[in-house]
Amino acid sequence: MGELTKVSIDFATSHLIFPRIVGGLLLVLGLAILISRRKEIAGAGAHWREIWRQMDKLRLPGVLALTLIYFSLMVPIGDLWPNTGMGFLICSIPFVFLSGLLFMHERGRREILIMTAISLTIPPLVWWLFSEVFFLTLP
Amino acid sequence: MEFLNVLTPTFVSLIVGGTLVGIIFGAIPGMTATMAVAVCLPITYSLGLQNGLALLLGLYVGGISGGLVPAILLGIPGTPSSITTTFDGYPMAKRGEGEAAMRIGIVASLIGGLISLGALALFAPTLADFAIKFSYVEKFLIILFALSVMAALSKDMLIGIFSGVLGVFVSLIGAYDISKGGNGELRLTPPGAEYWLESGFSLLPVLIGLFGLAAIFEEAEIGAPKGQSLKDVRVGKSSGFSFSVFRGQIVNLIRSSGIGAFVGILPGVGGSAASILAYSNAKTFSKTPERFGKGEPAGIIASEAGNNGLTGGALVPLLSLGIPGDSTTALLIGAFTLQGVQVGPLFIGNNAATWDAMLLAMLIANIVMFITMYAAIRYLALIVTVPKYVLFPIILMMCVIGAYTINRGIMFDVWTLLIFGLFGWLAVKLRLEIAPFVIGFILGPSAEVYFFKTLESFGDVTIFFTKSWIAGVLWLLIAASVIGSIVLSRRRAKSQADAS
Repeated sequence: MGELTKVSIDFATSHLIFPRIVGGLLLVLGLAILISRRKEIAGAGAHWREIWRQMDKLRLPGVLALTLIYFSLMVPIGDLWPNTGMGFLICSIPFVFLSGLLFMHERGRREILIMTAISLTIPPLVWWLFSEVFFLTLP
Repeated sequence: MEFLNVLTPTFVSLIVGGTLVGIIFGAIPGMTATMAVAVCLPITYSLGLQNGLALLLGLYVGGISGGLVPAILLGIPGTPSSITTTFDGYPMAKRGEGEAAMRIGIVASLIGGLISLGALALFAPTLADFAIKFSYVEKFLIILFALSVMAALSKDMLIGIFSGVLGVFVSLIGAYDISKGGNGELRLTPPGAEYWLESGFSLLPVLIGLFGLAAIFEEAEIGAPKGQSLKDVRVGKSSGFSFSVFRGQIVNLIRSSGIGAFVGILPGVGGSAASILAYSNAKTFSKTPERFGKGEPAGIIASEAGNNGLTGGALVPLLSLGIPGDSTTALLIGAFTLQGVQVGPLFIGNNAATWDAMLLAMLIANIVMFITMYAAIRYLALIVTVPKYVLFPIILMMCVIGAYTINRGIMFDVWTLLIFGLFGWLAVKLRLEIAPFVIGFILGPSAEVYFFKTLESFGDVTIFFTKSWIAGVLWLLIAASVIGSIVLSRRRAKSQADAS
């Protein structure tokens, strides 16, 4: 028993020891879930169809697309005026406005005016607070 | 009275502001105390540790308390921890006693908050003094215990453990940190991503993604339900509340607050478990259990004392062991990291002024919460009606600031936000549990260091069992939580089978 429990660690490969143990454990647990929940997993198609059926097909893909565009444009635009946080400011104004429109239910004149006012005031205020008052780096 | 030196106008204003913003977040369904802390974290960069904590603790107390407003007025829990408040609060509101129900909830919240503050002041230093003696073996076993407790209290034990281990696995991505005794080699890093993932995923963008972005994606998925219009909100008569309702409820109040504090001390177990446990206990011990669920004040008292009782309790393992008590306190780790302070057994001894400031901040936050909610009770209904189309874009924008500024301008941290926002949204569909994942992610790197150092020092795996009597006790606790969870899941399965 004494020798069996002895462990010597090679420092050069020590970075792989714990990930392998955890990965192995994950695999065993995954298999246990697969076996014990096989009926549920086999019938998962209905679960996903139901999720798809109930999903708001405008708002979820819309907010994902807007977020992707927002994140992608921030740095290239910011690089035009380095270290000013302009990328954040210039991208945040249309992002706040468009995502606000997306989440809105009744897009009446009053709601659109509110959203326009918010998108023209809040992002500049936040930009000013973080970059000019707190001196934090923004894209 | 040296500790009162911290009471500067800035400190107090931050607590007041934090508590008010927290109440707003808590009161809007779909927004939580955790989200409030995530969104406001970047503000703490420039505030210093004590002032930063003043703001975050205010948000925490306010966020947990604010959940009672829609729970009572609309029957929709503002935060997961106020689910049980809907059971009796909403029936009371339907009877036209909404204001009375809210006042009961606010008083219970205050008492719960104060009792849990007492638990924090009492237990955190004691536990920390004890934990100072821990070697790597006991520290590793504490993490194992934390993960086993969370798994035990998950909806499904197997999936709870899987989620926790997955969190550990994801936390190991990147180089094995040289500063922690590692060899600096990369592992689990996809080809081409070495540059971005050398230090792995940063903690804060992961947390902000999971609790900020994911919640907005979930709301978008269900069509971002419209805010309520004022005519749907039933506040009821302005009279109808008397403190006499608490007569005969002192035991319920203390028991529920105690349960909340105890659940908080258990690592990684959140407010919903606290209020559910407190509520079911109140019902079991009540002389009139049949009244529960039909507008019984005792139910509101149990639920609100329970979830506010959690707040101080959840800080106990954080400040004594470095293990977060719930998801919101997990974010507080981020605030400490930002200021270069490590939480663990040495924290209270080495940072006495910060410790005093935290206790004071919690006390003031509870008082501010009580005064504002009690005085402005009829205006609280207005918060519920704030349109989400205004809030969500601003929250998304604040999440970007939080992620981008954490490492002083790394765009990959913003992408991390999106990756984990999507993961958090998908995890719910896959029925994975987020709380164990987060705790696994936070504790994974420490677990590796403790595990590796133990084997390096002793060269024998039996040391995990034989190092000390504390190790023995910890193994017993781990076994107890695993056995307990098996018993619980069997009982749950049986009652489900009986019901069907």
